[in-house]
Amino acid sequence: MPIREEGYYNWEGTLSKSKIKWFPIFTTGIKSVYKKRFSKLLFATASSLFFVFLIALYVSSKPELKMMSRLVKMISSDALLFRTYYTNGFLVFMCAMISVFAGSELISNDLKHKSISLYLARPLSKLDYITGKFSIILFYLMMFTLLPGLLLVIFKVIFTGDFSAGLALLVKSITFPVVISLFWASLMLMLSSLSENGRFVKIIFFVAFFLSQMIAGMFWGIFRNDNFMYISIEKNIQQFGSFVFGTPLEFRAPGWISGAILLGLTALFLLILAYRLRKVEV
Amino acid sequence: METTIELNGLNFSYGNIKAVDDVSLITKKGIYGLLGPNGAGKTTLMKLILGFLKARSGNGKVLGFGIEENTRELREKVGYMSESDSLIPGMDAVDFTSYLGRLSGMPKQEAIKRAHEVLYYVGLEESRYRMIETYSSGMMQRLKLASSIVHDPVLLFLDEPTSGMDPGSRKEMIELINDISKKGTMSIIISSHILTDIEATCEDVIIMDKGKIIANEKISVIASKEVDIFEIKLGGDSSAFLKKFERFKYEEADRGMIRMQLPSDFSTKEIFDAALRSGTHIKHFLKRRSTLEDTFMNAIGENGAN
Repeated sequence: MPIREEGYYNWEGTLSKSKIKWFPIFTTGIKSVYKKRFSKLLFATASSLFFVFLIALYVSSKPELKMMSRLVKMISSDALLFRTYYTNGFLVFMCAMISVFAGSELISNDLKHKSISLYLARPLSKLDYITGKFSIILFYLMMFTLLPGLLLVIFKVIFTGDFSAGLALLVKSITFPVVISLFWASLMLMLSSLSENGRFVKIIFFVAFFLSQMIAGMFWGIFRNDNFMYISIEKNIQQFGSFVFGTPLEFRAPGWISGAILLGLTALFLLILAYRLRKVEV
Repeated sequence: METTIELNGLNFSYGNIKAVDDVSLITKKGIYGLLGPNGAGKTTLMKLILGFLKARSGNGKVLGFGIEENTRELREKVGYMSESDSLIPGMDAVDFTSYLGRLSGMPKQEAIKRAHEVLYYVGLEESRYRMIETYSSGMMQRLKLASSIVHDPVLLFLDEPTSGMDPGSRKEMIELINDISKKGTMSIIISSHILTDIEATCEDVIIMDKGKIIANEKISVIASKEVDIFEIKLGGDSSAFLKKFERFKYEEADRGMIRMQLPSDFSTKEIFDAALRSGTHIKHFLKRRSTLEDTFMNAIGENGAN
């Protein structure tokens, strides 16, 4: 292989002074997730729910179609419609799937291929590295939670022509998916930092997800006490959704506790992630 | 001349093992070889300099930036080619190199353009669109070099740059390193345990052993200290013979071989005479000039004795 005849020559440009050093991690990560096999199928499936709810929203906003509200309970009020959109089992499961699809190998692959040193040999801190990786999962989660939610609010305003109704809904439709996406992203990234094996990370993630439901169901079955529902990830998400949108609670216990549990777990996962990366030898 | 690295009493331990022991060092612009046996502390020292590890005590500056206080600014100015085969799977060489350029702060389009240039420069132009996980170890070394120079650093750290390469590729890698240094804009620190690589590329050599710097000199100075080395095998008892050479440095090697370092004006005839007077005879005799390897082994031997 020939060596360039003119010899080495210098680069004449100047390095960017941007403070968002992690931005290339974000953009490159977005592209590489999109290039994965089955990505389009997964994203199409995840977004199908939006179209179902868009129709439901249209129906609920048209007085001439009110008779359908009796048929479909979820469209009887805006709060119920949005709460149902965000907390239905399908979207919760799709969020789990998207987290696994976009995030299970984000750190585990870097550990496997010893590539963390590639990042840290550049003007990036470990925080920049985590932020860059975190932003990738967050982007995809919000693509299928926050973005459709906001679009539904916009469509609601368009369909009804009433701006006042949309404002409170807008705040709730931002708060809820942001909290939920932070939770999923931090759980996924923390698990990804625990092993070099991406497949193992995926398994552990689903085990954690389904096991929490099973244990909660088992204890509830034995003791008939609703407080055991706090063990379940899905139930906490649904309970917190009901609390945020002001609809009847999922189980008979304070709704804010589910929010606190989700936020507390998010903080815990991030702490574990930071600890893991501090221990990684570069 | 401009100082590139200035370290004062740097210490680092892995548990009870001192990996870097009170290292103080000043390097100027140029190309330095960091030499030492495996486990001498070379890579740890590089990691301390790059801020990957935090020193237990001591401090240092690289290109005027504190190694603990200004790591971000420092890493904009340095390039690092690690010993391990670090890669990001699912990327071709152009994506990989431009990605690392962008992480260094290069604008996207310029990073892509420069990636093509450096890949061409290191001889990977034909395989630049191949997935990097399919690269051979020699190609990986070239790719690592390309990605460490993509942002045109002021100071380049190369950790075992010829590791895993066949002789032909090794020669080309050394040519590349020499070519980069010839340009004069980039200082280079090469960490290696392969002495011939250091001899072929460096002006100065820093020898490390057991976490300490035991020599820091110009290779030309080391060459001027060259001595004659005699490899002798005797028939019969060698003790009387060795007594006559007590004042010189010698070692008894395998299978009765004696390796003696004698001044270059020392006459060969005197050795044969000494053997005759000691009642022994010489079965094997070889005279050669000392090499960097001998100096290296000497330095390590003396450090071990101390």
